[in-house]
Amino acid sequence: MHIMEGFLPWQWCVFWYALALPVIAYGVIRIKKVADKHPESKPVLAVVGAFMFVLSSLKLPSVTGSCSHPTGNGLGAVIFGPVVVSVLCVIVLVFQALLLGHGGLTTLGANTFSMGIIGPLAAWLVYKGWQKAGWSILPGIFLAAFFADLLTYATTAIQLSLAFPIPTFDSAILKFMTIYAYTQLPLAVAEGILTVVIFDYIMKLRPDVLETLKVIKPKNEMKTMKEPVKEAI
Amino acid sequence: MFENTLDCYAHSNHLKSTNTYFKVLFAILTMLVSLISTSPVVPLIIAFFMSFLIIFKAKISWKFYLKFFLFPFSFGLLTFVFMAIFFGVGTHVLELGIFNLAVTADGFNLGFLVFARMLGGFTCLAFLALTTPMTELFSVLKLVKIPKIVLELAMLMYRYIFVFLDEAINMYHAQETRLGYSSLKKSLKSMGMLGSNLFIRTWLKGEQAYIAMESRCYDGSMRTMREPESIKSMGTHNLALLILFEVSLITGVYITANFKIF
Repeated sequence: MHIMEGFLPWQWCVFWYALALPVIAYGVIRIKKVADKHPESKPVLAVVGAFMFVLSSLKLPSVTGSCSHPTGNGLGAVIFGPVVVSVLCVIVLVFQALLLGHGGLTTLGANTFSMGIIGPLAAWLVYKGWQKAGWSILPGIFLAAFFADLLTYATTAIQLSLAFPIPTFDSAILKFMTIYAYTQLPLAVAEGILTVVIFDYIMKLRPDVLETLKVIKPKNEMKTMKEPVKEAI
Repeated sequence: MFENTLDCYAHSNHLKSTNTYFKVLFAILTMLVSLISTSPVVPLIIAFFMSFLIIFKAKISWKFYLKFFLFPFSFGLLTFVFMAIFFGVGTHVLELGIFNLAVTADGFNLGFLVFARMLGGFTCLAFLALTTPMTELFSVLKLVKIPKIVLELAMLMYRYIFVFLDEAINMYHAQETRLGYSSLKKSLKSMGMLGSNLFIRTWLKGEQAYIAMESRCYDGSMRTMREPESIKSMGTHNLALLILFEVSLITGVYITANFKIF
């Protein structure tokens, strides 16, 4: 859910830029550290960013008949952590603005805050909590993607009602939330299901990728198999 | 399904050889003027002027531009109607007759202002996206001191976006010809397969890209050829024109500051 170019008054553009910048700066520092230590991670991060872009250009099948795009930030946050995803998200948002005309440059700060910071953070917290509790993975993935979407929309609604608090902030947020509940809730469910299906296939086909990223715990028999191989190398 | 990206237009329009800094400064400054305007007059003028430049100067086919423009236009119109009805507390100017709804004067003014600003901002963005190739924008981003690592990531990403779009389109067509999208359940399953396959492929590509880069002496930094043009080569004539244009727009904002329809 992008806020269009020119939708927000300039004061709020500046405000959201100021709020998003420190987080992004921290993310850049983190990525730089990782890239300096493991140079092989740079191309991988780049292709994952490209993957997020392509995923967001898919049209999500939804029950209401309305079509929208998956954000992919839930999946990214579960796999790479929220900080890295926030930086990738900024680059993806710039590309979406300049290659597709979605979103905008003046509203980049606000969009980054909702889609790149709040959404991934929610997904990551939900997934980590779920993993700590020791429940099975797939429902956790669903909830992570679902809450990432939901909180992204909620943040956008708050941003819009802060920008247009007419007659009061409360009634404005009620109006925006009502619209979003009808149009975006089914999308959040659809994206949750889609993320589960994607994750399920990755676990079946290439569990080793997820294990190296420490998203899922390696299976015991895999571990015993890998150890001697490592020593042999 | 997959939108046509604006990339091919950015590389083949008639304003491509114009100085990049000139185009970027022009688009961004005009966008900012449209953003700070408190009356709908100036953003609408900007929208018309930018559309004129895009169609007649950059020679983008008007059919494509119209189709491209339709989405923000309809979205803006929807916002306008929504705000006119729900975002007012002042006098009623038009009773709708159902559900006790009415268009209020202040709601109408606010909605129209937002609508105009959206069109103004969007046309500036469209001008930038349609006339300036991404590769040239990177050199501008370098000038404004975007961290090197972000730029490198962006460049690599830009290259791989098109590789993966191709792969995704191929997979999508293959699934579609096998009735993969004939029902909601099937489309979710097909799309999940597509997404996961894409992820695994991207992962492999990333590893291969690293091997390829390393075998060509990759030491953690990518060096690219510098663009020969600089901000100075913009020319005083263009610079004067740009300043004159923006100043007259700002004057327009100042004059029409209290303009309201109702």
